[in-house]
Amino acid sequence: MRLRPTSGDGSRALGDLRRARRRRAYGEMDWSDALYKVYVTAILSALGVSLISGWLGGRAVTPGELATAVQRGPALVGLVVAVAIAAGLRSGGRGGPLALEAADVQLVLLAPVPRGAALRLPAARQLRFGAFVGAVSGMTAGNLAAQRLPGPYAAWVAWGGLAGLVTGLAWTGSALAASGFRLGRRWAGALAAVAVGWSMADLARSTATSPATLLGRLSMSAVDVVPRAPVGLVLLLLPVAGLVSVGGTSLEAARRQAGLVTELRFAVTMQDVRTVILLRRQLAAEGPRRRPWVRLPAGRRSWPVWRRDWQGILRWPAARILRVVLLGAGAGLAAAGAWRDTPALIVAAAAALLLAALDSVEGMAQDADHAIRRDTLPVGPGRLVSLHLAAPSVVMLGVAAVAIGGASALGGATTALSVGALVAVPAVLAAVCGAALSIETGPVDPYRVELFAGARLAIRSVGPLVLAVVGVLPLLDARAAANAGRAPAASAASGAFAVLLVVAAVGAWLRRER
Amino acid sequence: MLEATDLTAAYDDYTALQGVTCLVEAGRTVALVGPNGAGKSTFLRLCAGLLEPSDGGVSVGGHPAGSLEARALMSYLPDTPALYDDLSVNEHLEYVARLHGVDDWADRAAELLDRLGLTARGDDPPGGFSRGMRQKTSIALAFVRPFGVLLADEPFDGLDPPSRETLDALVAEAAANGAAVVLATHRVEVVEQADGCLAIDDGRLIYDGPADSAEVARLLS
Repeated sequence: MRLRPTSGDGSRALGDLRRARRRRAYGEMDWSDALYKVYVTAILSALGVSLISGWLGGRAVTPGELATAVQRGPALVGLVVAVAIAAGLRSGGRGGPLALEAADVQLVLLAPVPRGAALRLPAARQLRFGAFVGAVSGMTAGNLAAQRLPGPYAAWVAWGGLAGLVTGLAWTGSALAASGFRLGRRWAGALAAVAVGWSMADLARSTATSPATLLGRLSMSAVDVVPRAPVGLVLLLLPVAGLVSVGGTSLEAARRQAGLVTELRFAVTMQDVRTVILLRRQLAAEGPRRRPWVRLPAGRRSWPVWRRDWQGILRWPAARILRVVLLGAGAGLAAAGAWRDTPALIVAAAAALLLAALDSVEGMAQDADHAIRRDTLPVGPGRLVSLHLAAPSVVMLGVAAVAIGGASALGGATTALSVGALVAVPAVLAAVCGAALSIETGPVDPYRVELFAGARLAIRSVGPLVLAVVGVLPLLDARAAANAGRAPAASAASGAFAVLLVVAAVGAWLRRER
Repeated sequence: MLEATDLTAAYDDYTALQGVTCLVEAGRTVALVGPNGAGKSTFLRLCAGLLEPSDGGVSVGGHPAGSLEARALMSYLPDTPALYDDLSVNEHLEYVARLHGVDDWADRAAELLDRLGLTARGDDPPGGFSRGMRQKTSIALAFVRPFGVLLADEPFDGLDPPSRETLDALVAEAAANGAAVVLATHRVEVVEQADGCLAIDDGRLIYDGPADSAEVARLLS
């Protein structure tokens, strides 16, 4: 072979091969199967949207509520947009949203092909996905808003869809731009803080100065047309910046993302929540601190599991602590919303508590990850699981305190405190038990014939959330009592007792299963 | 041909490579040795342009690593083969060759497949291949296009003895044709055949000299 450097531009080969691969993928696709999936997804989505609409109720707002919605709604929508942009910037600061095939990194990006040309197609695909998710979410939100607010239904859905589309593009575009321009974590974090801070200032002062808030105004054009609102479309510059800068994406990050995202997709397919959590942490580079926040004093010889769990918790990185606190606050706000006039929000409160609990049962999960080590311990696995529940429950009581604080912030502090105190303990225990259920009911092996595999799959998939929802149901009991003129605390207490019985039964089942 | 100057790769609180300076001239084969975790793969990835140095730099034929010109000159054989599941071996070879501006790739590809014992599997996608077969495919991809620098990370791992001999021969031909070759390896016989040796330990270059010295024997023992 004659060894000579080449300078030929392989862009044509890249285009040819991509077209060939696409043709092959389409050729191998089972169209009837694909159409069936689209059909089922469409039916389920329509059902989901109408169910949510039904739960939210169709009560029209009063003139006062409408005035509040018009005044504060855009800033609230703007805050959601800003949070999406901040999330994109954070992702971009860690390397970006592009998840390339390992072979693409190895064979294409190391070839003498301009990287911008090689990466523009995957970037456009990513933007298309963001736009789709955003538009669908926006149209759904518009549909829900139309149930209660005046204005033409089609206008709500159209403006909501447009705002969602721009948000989705801004979310993915900001991630692409942050990684393409190599902003790094600090600068990306600083810009994310500016974006969120600006929107929060708009919310606090009832102004509309940030592009995100203006986009929020645009989304409410069905009831309030503001000439300045289209300025919010300036956020479309973010995806443009992302496409222009994509050639600067770090190969190291793309390579790392490539492997992790493939594993993540597989784990999602297997409904393996634990693996999803671990991979998400790796993608976010969210490792434990090398030094704990507080070092535990040389310990007593008893209670080694309790001590081990706290050693792990005290190494939580700041990002995880912040996430758990925010989940607590979110749970509180959702619970307050459920108390006021949207009972369906109880599911959101339960989901937030369950997510926080999944973080807090890390010690138990580590044992489950290293089953061989666990099985050689001189402690029965069932007893070990029970012992691992103690420290997370204490952590989750802290989360519950944040939730009660969050609920109090929306007004009615006395009710929030009295009902919250009664509901908190069973809610926390149910969430921790749900997290344990998720960790301890291992994935169903698709290659093994197993009795009750379907039931086990169901328990693993929906059991944890159902248990977490059961944990917060006493809140609805108390609400019903308050609406009927009875003492809410008494209803909350009896409901809490019933939940404790359910939690005890599930705990006992888990212990026996182990 | 390949020159590293004060090459450093540092992460938050960990330095993977510290101030490595070395030169591999055209036509020479250099063995890169060191214990596990010493920094060999990091060094090769920096040279390939897959990682970016926190300090110092690498020049490939006078061009900075990772630049378009350096990528045209450099062929990198990774420790883990990265292959598409939906392309056959032949399609892989065509793709890589054409990306590198080679249009008359078919004869060279056929020769490589023959020498590596892959001819019968040329039309199969490598998804179901064994580790050794995937490694052989990866080797064919590294050699199907022209290059001036070959970087290979543990290339002999997973190969059967005949394939090891073939790879030996391919490397020797590449060096004879003027390529600078760096082979990361733990195998004594590979080091013995090399023209020179670089040894890395704990991220630092601790040896740069002939491969047949007593110092190298001590490092490998």
